[in-house]
Amino acid sequence: MSTPENMLELRGVSKSFGGLTAVDSVDLDVKRGQIFSIIGPNGAGKTTVFNLITGIYKPTAGDILLDGLSLSTLTPDRVVKRGITRTFQNIRLFNNMTVLENVLVGLHTTLPGNLFSIVLHLPNYTRAERAAHERAIELLSFFGPSLVDRRDEYAANLSYAERRRVEIARALGAGPKLLLLDEPTAGMNDAETAEAVQYIQQLRTAFNLTILLIEHKLQVTMGISDRIAVLDYGRKIAEGSAAEIQQNEQVIEAYLGRKATVE
Amino acid sequence: MLVLAAASSGAGVFFQQIENGVTLGAMYALVALGYTLVYGIIELINFAHGDVFMWGTLVTFVVVQRLGVSSPPSGVGLVALLFGLLIIGMVVSGVINVSIERLAYKPLRRAPRLAPLIAAIGVSFILENVAQLWRGSVQVAFPTIFPVVGITIGSVRVNALDIFIVVFAVVLMYGLDRFIRGTRMGKAMRATAQDPEAAALMGVNVDRTISITFLIGGALAGAAALFYNMYFGQVWYLTGFQLGLIAFTAAVLGGIGNIYGAVLGGFLIGLVQALAVQYLPDGFNWSTAIVFAILVLILVVRPSGLLGQQVPDKV
Amino acid sequence: MSVRVQQAKDKRTTSASVRSRVDAYLDGTMVGKNPLRWYITGWRLGLIAVIGALIFPQVAGSQSLIVTAITIGIYVMLALGLNIVVGFAGLLDLGYVAFYVIGSYTAAVGSFGAIQLSNNQIVHIPIFPFWLLLALGAVLAGLFGALLGAPTLRLRGDYLAIVTLGFGEIVPTVFQNLPYFYGQLGISALPPGDINLPTGTISFSNPLDYSPFYYLTLALVVLITVVVILLRDSSVGRAWVAIREDETAAAASGVNLVRTKLLAFGLGATIGGVGGALNAAFTTSITPLDFNFIISITILIMIVLGGLGSVPGVIVGAILLRFFDVYLLGQINDWVHKFPLVANAGTPLHFLAAVDFNASKYLIYGVILVAMILLRPQGLIPNIRRKMELKGEGAAPESFSAVGIVEREEQGLSMGGAGSEDETLYEGAGSDAQRQEEGGE
Repeated sequence: MSTPENMLELRGVSKSFGGLTAVDSVDLDVKRGQIFSIIGPNGAGKTTVFNLITGIYKPTAGDILLDGLSLSTLTPDRVVKRGITRTFQNIRLFNNMTVLENVLVGLHTTLPGNLFSIVLHLPNYTRAERAAHERAIELLSFFGPSLVDRRDEYAANLSYAERRRVEIARALGAGPKLLLLDEPTAGMNDAETAEAVQYIQQLRTAFNLTILLIEHKLQVTMGISDRIAVLDYGRKIAEGSAAEIQQNEQVIEAYLGRKATVE
Repeated sequence: MLVLAAASSGAGVFFQQIENGVTLGAMYALVALGYTLVYGIIELINFAHGDVFMWGTLVTFVVVQRLGVSSPPSGVGLVALLFGLLIIGMVVSGVINVSIERLAYKPLRRAPRLAPLIAAIGVSFILENVAQLWRGSVQVAFPTIFPVVGITIGSVRVNALDIFIVVFAVVLMYGLDRFIRGTRMGKAMRATAQDPEAAALMGVNVDRTISITFLIGGALAGAAALFYNMYFGQVWYLTGFQLGLIAFTAAVLGGIGNIYGAVLGGFLIGLVQALAVQYLPDGFNWSTAIVFAILVLILVVRPSGLLGQQVPDKV
Repeated sequence: MSVRVQQAKDKRTTSASVRSRVDAYLDGTMVGKNPLRWYITGWRLGLIAVIGALIFPQVAGSQSLIVTAITIGIYVMLALGLNIVVGFAGLLDLGYVAFYVIGSYTAAVGSFGAIQLSNNQIVHIPIFPFWLLLALGAVLAGLFGALLGAPTLRLRGDYLAIVTLGFGEIVPTVFQNLPYFYGQLGISALPPGDINLPTGTISFSNPLDYSPFYYLTLALVVLITVVVILLRDSSVGRAWVAIREDETAAAASGVNLVRTKLLAFGLGATIGGVGGALNAAFTTSITPLDFNFIISITILIMIVLGGLGSVPGVIVGAILLRFFDVYLLGQINDWVHKFPLVANAGTPLHFLAAVDFNASKYLIYGVILVAMILLRPQGLIPNIRRKMELKGEGAAPESFSAVGIVEREEQGLSMGGAGSEDETLYEGAGSDAQRQEEGGE
């Protein structure tokens, strides 16, 4: 049942590719303001769920609702306009654009794409463009001055951790209410991971976000999540608080029964 | 609709076109295989493939001319000539294809998609223009080197040449099939087509595998080149352009990357063209447009082709 | 490293220090400022070029020079148009000539008031003034561009190229085969009508003075350049590049793929139509044989040569290639043939005497294309993008040099390039196994 508390609902969502069922009848309720984590062994279908939510795939069955409105027929850019953005597991930045330009693309939905305004250089356009530049720098400055200083560097030149931050800044551009982070600490060492955990929590407060997280590092998940759902072979096998999940037998079996990486 | 057409124009004409279609299809299938093999292994459409084919036609023509053959030799002479030309055509086209790969495509393997595509176009252009500079812009007649004999079944005329083409094309296709499935290199090719990095880790020399793929693809086109010369009798520096489009459509129709698909597609397109020529007014000119329309249709409706698998993009 | 936290809950209020930093940055750029101020005074070379172009007809020695300049101008237009599709959005369109054809035929047909069909029937249509035809040609071409774009939107680069190639073949063929347009003989077009001003008449049909046509071409080129630059630096331009870089990420950032691609196709097509209309009015006679794949390729070569995605680059590329075609080719031909080592029989280079460089033009084009994409894919004048703005006004023009190479980190096409260390990936991994494999076979 749909309550105003539930921001994102997945109802019986399934996705099959030919003979392969990647996601099998998954139900999820993400409440406003939560940090909700989806965990599970490799290949469990977690990224597929993200792709379903963001409109890259259409569900073969079931429905996905944001604030009560269905998302399942929307194209990815329309999903962004509804208020959901994401980052990718293997950081997809625009390498031949500068840091600033990357974030500006994130702000695309806030700018009038009206050709006439652009070509005639009308004030409504120039004002919006200036505001977008300001906002982009603001977003970068969330992570400190270093990214702002490097705003004209090509994204390809940045370090891995910096690129991750730029990707998040880009995702924030559209002013989302729900942010999907796909393994945001992948490839990071302990220090970088701790930093990331810190800024993820700060993101929630600073930008009034609900955050949906895919994460492999269990100590990150357990520490940061309000609620956790566990997927295995496309099915949700458990859901609950960190304490509950840690005790759950099925979860333990899923992780230890096969050699999953627990960092 | 076809049945009606057959009934009105006579079943004989219809079956004649079927026979023509099969012969055409055999040639198209050979060239389509070249496209599909290359695409399967490096996910690149070798734009220049049609021109590689054209060079096969050019060189075999020049050889025939230099030898002074103007009418079909008999007996052993014929056999020797045909085999000689086949070898020459296949070697020339194969070598050109490999050279293109080594010089123009290999350095761009890590580049964004646009780069090797542009390189391919450039190479195609170069091949066409060198051919034009060498042998001129005018279509030249290829002498008749194959005996003009045939049998008539009902009202359908089946030329010995047609039989020769189809038989040899099938032999080559069968040979390819055995090669891909039976030999180490064939296995290497399949592995590289699936996952080059994994293949490399398993010890496959990916560079060499790719080069051999190009060699084979080119060689098949070279064989088709000889058949084409004997069948159509015209040599022209722009043959590759049109035939390339047709063969490419055949490959896509069957499912690009799928060898059986290329063969199936080749024969289907051959049939379509033969029937179009017969039953449409000004059929030959429109047949290219029809083939192109088929291409667009497939790409829009079912890009994976008839035998291809629908593989979603990995995100 | 510490992470600063934004205290404000409301997105719109920002702390003072952030604001001042933002202002300091923006003051150094042209965002929100009058673009004309930037394009003319900030870009010194651009100014020199424009002035030079303006006085050119006065200093040109002969009419034929002016005629050449006009055709160069048309090619520059086409290069700018194709650059939007291929350079900005990264969509390989090989059938660009189709839009050029549509523009040309629109202008031609509309200028006469009557079409004589090949069966000698005459169909009367209203006569349109050139200026209207220019717009009409542009619009029709643009519409066709969108039409062409629609089914191709989801196609991968390779397939898109082939499909556009096919369209590029079909459209001229249609014009050639339909009974309305006199087939291969082509049709005539009228130049723009005379403009009567108090100071005198500007005539476009005067064979002794092509400068009105020249200025018309120049005006259109400048207009198109300004429009392209404005779009390039806008959200649309960024969306194009984002699509080129990573479509999925672009869509995930809110870019409407369909609309943005259609915009690229449509705009490129519109510009092609403008070029076509101008071409028809200038040459006053067009036949389908003028329009073929070679034109599409030539323009592609121009933009690859100049620099994909770089506005000054493609302009220079178009000028260079055309200049090469009209002047250099003949010179090279003469020069090589007169060279003693070539002219005298029996010398090793003598075979060059038989080579007609003029006829080898397209071969040279092909070589240029392949060479550029292999050796210098970012083109002669790579896209320098926003770096310019930061220097602000009054900066020494060391950030670019005339037709020289603008130094920029190898970002143009993120090429691994020949001989990159990535090439050893397979050779290295296979070295031991390679010996095994070879031994086994």
